[in-house]
Amino acid sequence: MKILIVEDEAKTGDYLKQGLSEAGFTADLVRNGLDGMHEGLSGGHDLLILDVNLPGLDGWQVLKTLRAAGRELPVLFLTARDQVEDRVKGLELGADDYLVKPFAFSELLARVRTLLRRGRVREAETLALADLELDVLKRRATRAGQRIDLTAKEFALLELFLRRPGEVLSRSFIASQVWDMNFDSDTNVVEVAIRRLRAKIDDDFTPRLIHTLRGMGYVMEIR
Amino acid sequence: MGHWRHSITLRLSLAFALLATLVFAALGAYLSRSADAHMAELDAHELFGKLALTRHVGSREPTPAALAARLNDVLIGEHGVLVAVDGEKGPIFNWPDSPLAGQLAAAAGAAGETPVRLTLVGRDYRVVAGNVQTAWGETARVVVGRDIRHHTDFLDQLQRDFWLALLAAALLTVVVGILIARHGMRPVRAIAQTAGQISAGQLAARIPETDVPPELAELVVSFNAMLGRLEESFQRLSDFSADLAHELRTPIHTLRMQTEVSLAKPRSNDEYRDLLASNLEEYERLSRMIADMLFLAKAEHGLIVPQREAIPLLELGRQLFDYYGILAESQQLVLEGDELTVRGDRLMLQRAIGNLLLNAIQHTPAGGRVALSVHSREGMAAITVSNTGPAIPETALRTIFERFIRADQGGEGSGLGLAIARSIVLAHGGNLTARSSGEITEFSLTLPLTDSQPGIGEPQPAASSQ
Repeated sequence: MKILIVEDEAKTGDYLKQGLSEAGFTADLVRNGLDGMHEGLSGGHDLLILDVNLPGLDGWQVLKTLRAAGRELPVLFLTARDQVEDRVKGLELGADDYLVKPFAFSELLARVRTLLRRGRVREAETLALADLELDVLKRRATRAGQRIDLTAKEFALLELFLRRPGEVLSRSFIASQVWDMNFDSDTNVVEVAIRRLRAKIDDDFTPRLIHTLRGMGYVMEIR
Repeated sequence: MGHWRHSITLRLSLAFALLATLVFAALGAYLSRSADAHMAELDAHELFGKLALTRHVGSREPTPAALAARLNDVLIGEHGVLVAVDGEKGPIFNWPDSPLAGQLAAAAGAAGETPVRLTLVGRDYRVVAGNVQTAWGETARVVVGRDIRHHTDFLDQLQRDFWLALLAAALLTVVVGILIARHGMRPVRAIAQTAGQISAGQLAARIPETDVPPELAELVVSFNAMLGRLEESFQRLSDFSADLAHELRTPIHTLRMQTEVSLAKPRSNDEYRDLLASNLEEYERLSRMIADMLFLAKAEHGLIVPQREAIPLLELGRQLFDYYGILAESQQLVLEGDELTVRGDRLMLQRAIGNLLLNAIQHTPAGGRVALSVHSREGMAAITVSNTGPAIPETALRTIFERFIRADQGGEGSGLGLAIARSIVLAHGGNLTARSSGEITEFSLTLPLTDSQPGIGEPQPAASSQ
């Protein structure tokens, strides 16, 4: 998967590129709107991460030109201003998602994966990792063949992890996906919920599947 | 140009001058007419005297010659008077003995005993005429004229003098008017001067309300009231800046300390990882605080415009209980009330009520009870979040919605949650109050109900989209 990053802030751009490369993507970085437009038009990228505030040709113009030229790649725009008009404008111009700076890198990664996955993969009806299995239709979870009783929210949380194995999920992303709480609040609700889920699916089994990445969030994988 | 058009001083002075000129002119016209009438009366008196005299003499003297001689005697020394007596066969007597009297008699025409004015050889005369029955049995016509030049000269002079006086008076009024208006505007200039001296640093200054004329008192009072409001918001702003600096300095200080200490000597990878993770947590807190501050700043300037979709409140309560309930391991949670729907911003109301709920759960001791109830009261939806636990002191309750105020010293959280809840509720046209007594602390929030009937399952698209 090739991702094009258009970002004029040197440090941000470099770390975006490094982070995305280390997450397994091929990332190209350009530092102004004109180069961004040329790279975007030349094709070959699967996703565009576009800073709105660029010198010269700004992000909106880049986006407009690309869409006018019929380039349909998903676009995630980054803005420093949390203004409703900005968001609406971006989405109207044909962007697919946005993030307001400062954002968590794990959040960006989650959005990027969602955008790349969109319309491509049919959601599986049974999910599995190691000996943990989840039947989404029958709402049933088993580990090592043992039936595990989960509440609705615990089930949703586990399903989220299983659909994104190996991805770091931030607390706010989890809160938004599982509980539809779309604001950043300073609580440890997610922490407690994960502790409870672990008690049911992880504590009595090996290997452990849910891992805490301090300061970043949680990841489900076989280590 | 613009300056003059709007100058109150000039406008007032011109208005004074115009008014004075009009009054003087009217007065002048009246006086001139009176003088004219008075002169006419004097002239008439004299004319009637001469007419009577001539008739008297005419009815006594036996012959025309005797009449003429007698009249000559009587009129000796009279200047400016013309007398003509015409008999049936021609002129009997003319005074003075010049063609002028004859011309006057001819010009008098049908004049009678009412004085008329006529002009003869460039001179103005007032004229009366009448008949006399002479002693010799003839009806003679008597015409008496009076040269009124000295009267008209006098009136003309009077009028000329008057217009000059009027012009002088008008100019004088303008000048005096400007001086008076300037003087009258002095309190206004004094106010302007005081206002001009007030800067952000000395908003405590006030314009004295005592020695101001009553017309300006209202202006001064409202101006002072405005200063009061400005002073208050400035005070709040500077308190706020100080708080903000303090709140930001603490985490940055921590970050700096731990980074410096860690870099002071080589450490293991795990230690570095720990440091970075700890830093990350602080960064997250900082950016959340900045986002919250921005939200509050925008709310204060009325820039928070909630979307208006139908929000079923009990459903929102259930969703919040689902989430925050996870934290209430040893407390009892109760959700009760009527299914009411308000129009509002889902995200914001979720946040506002969520903050109240979180606050309640955090302050409820184990075994306690947290309740969220939804009722309709006086046309508003009343949402109450209550919890059992030690009461909040009255003094703390007063400032509980201020930024960075934490009722329990050293409590967790940014100290912005309740301030945010309040600004969201206010932006929705509602109200948020807190009270605490005995063992119960209660946050009451009101929101305007939707226009439609409350409580009856509303067929709103947003309500069924969950």
